[in-house]
Amino acid sequence: MLSKRSMVISGILLVAAVVVPTTVRADDLPIDFNQDIRPVLAKNCFACHGPDENDREAGLRLDDRGVAVAELESGSIAIVPQHPQQSELVSRITSSDPDLRMPPADSGHALKPAEIKRIEQWINQGAPFAKHWSFANPVHWPPPDVNQEQWPLTGLDYFVLARMEAHRLQPSEMADRHALIRRLSLDLRGLPPTPHELESFLSDERPDAYGRLVDAFLADPAYGERWARVWLDLARYADSKGYGSDPLRTIWRYRDWVIDALNQNMPYDQFTVEQLAGDLLPDPTFEQRVATAFHRNTMTNTEGGTDDEEFRVAAVRDRVDTTGQIWLGLTMGCAKCHNHKYDPITQKEYYQFYAYFNHTADNDLPTEAPTLKVPVPEISERIAQIDSEVAVLQKQLERLKDEEQSGQDQKPKPKSKRIEQLQKQIDQLKKSKPALPTVPIMQELAGDKRRITKVMIRGNFLTTGDEVHEQTPSAFHEFPEGAPQNRLGIAYWLMSPDNPLTARVAVNRIWARLFGNGLVVTEEDFGTQGELPSHPKLLDWLAVEYMRSDWDTKALLKLIVTSATYRQSSHVTAEAREVDPQNRWLARAPRFRLEAETVRDQAMALSGLLSRKMHGPSVYPPQPPGLWRAAFNGKDRRWATSTGEDRYRRGVYTFWRRTVPYPSMATFDAPSREICVARRIRTNTPLQALVTLNDPVYVEAAQGLARRIMLEGGTSVKQRARWVLQLCLVRIPTDAEIDEIVSLFKSERQHYSAQHEEARTLATKPLGAAPQGLDIADLAAWTVVANILLNHDAVLSKG
Amino acid sequence: MDLTDLHLRAVTRRHFLGNCRTGVGALALASMLRQEQASGRTGGLQENPLAEKAPHHPPRAKHIIYLHMAGSPPQHELFDFKPKLVEHHMQPCPDELLANQRFPFIKGHPKLLGTPYKFDRCGESGTELSELLPLFREHIDDVAVIKSMHTDQFNHAPAQLFIYTGSPRFGGAAMGSWATYGLGTENQNLPGFVVLISGGTDPSGGKSLWGSGFLPSVYQGVQCRTTGEPILYVSNPKGMNRDVRRRSLEALRRLNEIELQQFGDPETEARINQYELAFRMQMAVPDSMDLTRETKQTQEQYGIEPGQESFANNCLLARRLVERGVRYVQLFHYGWDMHGTNNTNDIITALPKKCAEIDRPISALIADLKQRGLFDDTLIVWSGEFGRTSMNEERNGSKFLGRDHHPHCFTIWMAGGGIKGGVTWGETDELGYFVARDKMSVRDLQATMMHLMGFDAHRLSYPFQGLNQRLIGPTDEARVNHGILA
Repeated sequence: MLSKRSMVISGILLVAAVVVPTTVRADDLPIDFNQDIRPVLAKNCFACHGPDENDREAGLRLDDRGVAVAELESGSIAIVPQHPQQSELVSRITSSDPDLRMPPADSGHALKPAEIKRIEQWINQGAPFAKHWSFANPVHWPPPDVNQEQWPLTGLDYFVLARMEAHRLQPSEMADRHALIRRLSLDLRGLPPTPHELESFLSDERPDAYGRLVDAFLADPAYGERWARVWLDLARYADSKGYGSDPLRTIWRYRDWVIDALNQNMPYDQFTVEQLAGDLLPDPTFEQRVATAFHRNTMTNTEGGTDDEEFRVAAVRDRVDTTGQIWLGLTMGCAKCHNHKYDPITQKEYYQFYAYFNHTADNDLPTEAPTLKVPVPEISERIAQIDSEVAVLQKQLERLKDEEQSGQDQKPKPKSKRIEQLQKQIDQLKKSKPALPTVPIMQELAGDKRRITKVMIRGNFLTTGDEVHEQTPSAFHEFPEGAPQNRLGIAYWLMSPDNPLTARVAVNRIWARLFGNGLVVTEEDFGTQGELPSHPKLLDWLAVEYMRSDWDTKALLKLIVTSATYRQSSHVTAEAREVDPQNRWLARAPRFRLEAETVRDQAMALSGLLSRKMHGPSVYPPQPPGLWRAAFNGKDRRWATSTGEDRYRRGVYTFWRRTVPYPSMATFDAPSREICVARRIRTNTPLQALVTLNDPVYVEAAQGLARRIMLEGGTSVKQRARWVLQLCLVRIPTDAEIDEIVSLFKSERQHYSAQHEEARTLATKPLGAAPQGLDIADLAAWTVVANILLNHDAVLSKG
Repeated sequence: MDLTDLHLRAVTRRHFLGNCRTGVGALALASMLRQEQASGRTGGLQENPLAEKAPHHPPRAKHIIYLHMAGSPPQHELFDFKPKLVEHHMQPCPDELLANQRFPFIKGHPKLLGTPYKFDRCGESGTELSELLPLFREHIDDVAVIKSMHTDQFNHAPAQLFIYTGSPRFGGAAMGSWATYGLGTENQNLPGFVVLISGGTDPSGGKSLWGSGFLPSVYQGVQCRTTGEPILYVSNPKGMNRDVRRRSLEALRRLNEIELQQFGDPETEARINQYELAFRMQMAVPDSMDLTRETKQTQEQYGIEPGQESFANNCLLARRLVERGVRYVQLFHYGWDMHGTNNTNDIITALPKKCAEIDRPISALIADLKQRGLFDDTLIVWSGEFGRTSMNEERNGSKFLGRDHHPHCFTIWMAGGGIKGGVTWGETDELGYFVARDKMSVRDLQATMMHLMGFDAHRLSYPFQGLNQRLIGPTDEARVNHGILA
């Protein structure tokens, strides 16, 4: 803060000179309403003196200057600009009388002395208000001046460097190529680089080698799989219905749609329109209708005695809340029971917005209707084949029947037996006909079936108030002219260039996945309760760049990953850590633990077991027995462990049951996907260590890696140790590291050479018999080494 | 107190390990933390979110054992005796009770169902109790029976979620998560929040009942089992013995220390610690879960079934865990959904069996905790998720007696840490349909439990999605029930 003030100090001198001609004190520096005042008022005062008129005390609202400076019912005035002593607000927050003191003790809030002082200064300075930062349109700020002009590589670096310099921080040196390729590969593809990719990059002497690497990774289909993971948390995608016994749901075709859309680099506006309202586009394609499954990921309740309407309402609300979260970064859900306490959304406006989503045909039914049939070539062929066989038999049958009838004979009929046989055959064939998988979709109700929307009092679906109609909240930008008053119109409204939030929220999300934290840390809340951006101008600049590129997501990613900011080393000195422990000012690259799916995918890749097969129904990699024994789930109690390559697919294809999430991923902070999750909170627990040490999935990966060591890693122990360290860490190992591996191998080799059965077990169960010619004690000892390396901090982290 | 700040407070590795090893533990560490808070020092590099923390006021209950009867037992058969109901047995239910009511299964005009079981006034307190819990009767003077509980959910999953997370929908944080978030835990070699399920079926609310919701996942409940692995993945891979594991973890530690020197990332140090903890957990967990280490007498007292999944085993485990410093132990028993559609869920045949499954273990648990001096620090709560109707369900003309779901009243009991024994709180009307006096809501129960743990439930919060999320929800209706507190 200090340095920011020093930057503007020359401007202040002029202002201050007018007010206090003799001395300039720190007190006179101008207070920034959005930075210094609104967060304090929002946290401590808005609940009773904010936008919600139903809970407003004393008629005072502190989110509206007009009211705050006007005379209240009591005759007093909360804020008298330039006169803190006459302001009721100040006398109440400084009062020593507990009955008068604000905020009241039982609210659990209290103002700090520094906050009180700032409020006084701000009133002294005329109490200027400003629009909440995120509700003002982003500006394409010119890059700020910096001292180290040779450092920036892209426009964004100027913004970052300016903040660094203001905090007297030095950017770190650029990371070496080893570190860069691993970082880039994990960020863009969720997989480590292969030894071959590493070799080619190290030997690529062209000046644009790094840019080419970025392009190659963005073009890899693994890119779509990695970034789909991010979107699927937001879309609360899961393979089960959630409530009650959490029955299974077939909706994987939507997951594939997301992967493909990302791989095709579908512009974010189209990506949005198709998911929210693909069915309302003129002559929607099959893919556009599949996209609408986005909002069919809501939970349904098939439990006995439940009211379908209650859960349909819950689903529609979830669609409203999720839409608000993903595109606006706002917690609209707060307004379903009462007016929003902090952001300008009234309860009525909530239900006006709700009305847009209240006209779809789905109704919490066990059938999931309406659904689309998903063509799967093998199944379609089989169906066609059976249909033609049935047609042939049917003809025969009819002919026989005709003959029999025309015979008109009373004697026993030899043909009737044949007819019976044929009929049976036809029935069997029909029975054996496989069904095409389905995907639930959004479908708008026809005119006369459209629902009436009413405000729900205190959020209760049974007690309704006034009827409302489709309308967007009044504090936001205009509804686009000529856009239809339905979901399609909402999609256009969200993607309108006048919308100050969508682009900011989107670029912040991408930034957060790369840097570990968003420029706005509270990715889910850009409202007044959310945190302020660390680099407001950078956020704006990126948002405008993204819009100007016509929402080209790969271009945005390329812009960020080619920046000098991104390419810094993640080494940190004690001093730098002291100054900026959270790395808010980005004077180094972040270093943080990989997310659940990447921990798995990387282990699969290093072990050589990874299957790169894409698409299709979700798969069942091994998990401990008995976990699916949830209540009431008669037929869905069995986890049918996949065989063949499906055992080794990427985590994005793992079957996701909401009430029993895949245990190792849940341990690594994967959410249950019951509701939209904007960011996963990273934790570091011993249970994670138990997963990567002992889960048979990771033991199998260690076995695979051990075989690679022996088959690909050279012949001597030292060669192999160097090879596997380099493979896993993606850097040149130190002698100390090699020695550590060599001595671990030797001690375990000795142990296992005397323990033949144990060695065989550790080296082959569950992966299967060892390849010909490999010594089993060697293999067991290398399995121990591999197991440890899959738990190495550098392997589990991205640096 | 702002717990988000607090939970960033740290303990250095040496302090942390030192305390674990010596077992001086709890108090010293807690007071050290308090000092740190007072001085405003943010501590060293290490964050241990499960380190002990000081609550708002001194706690009465340092440990919690929650016994949940999933499906919801019929209060009229166990605690809430209604002579009027017996008198009018099989007469039509008065119309006014049915107006505007929804039932999952009852259709048409149901008949009242008087309990077939005998009740007596028990103990010095004279608390009324059914003949179905003969052993439990002996401890009734230690127990506060609350007959005036009510909820607003009448399906299993939402009602269970409401009790444990404060919201009938998924996504909230479980009470045990709140407890470990607020208090940390005493024994770092064991999870702070353990869940034990008796077998049969899992509760309908599933894993979300012990999920950490919006709280960091380090606070989620860890399910422990008496069959198979006690904690998922706690056993070494087949073919790897403890010595191999120890040697390989030592090598890993040295490798990670090289990494730490190179990159200087405090997370690396945290990871080194977590692997040490994991190794100690691998030692401590099997030992804690091994019921054969108990005396024959204790085993018989609880009626355990070694090698099986059972409620009795879990009650004994709960005591072992609490004894070792686990903060919150949540038990789920199954099969209490007494609809009366057949003889596995009726009140004549099935209910006595269920009661027999819990009567001995619960009595043993209370006696055992007392004998070991743990009872006064350990809060025990027993409940279902809602009540059952005063009427016979008679689904599809069933001849078996049973009761449908009923949110308007049910009975729970509490005992131990901070609870006044021998109290009967609240009363229902003469047909046992609505609460007549001293209502206690689910939110009141939550506030009361949090109070006993040392928290003002109105102030214990976590910022998420624009709201300071609390166990008791966004409204201020929750009240601590001082009437049952010692």
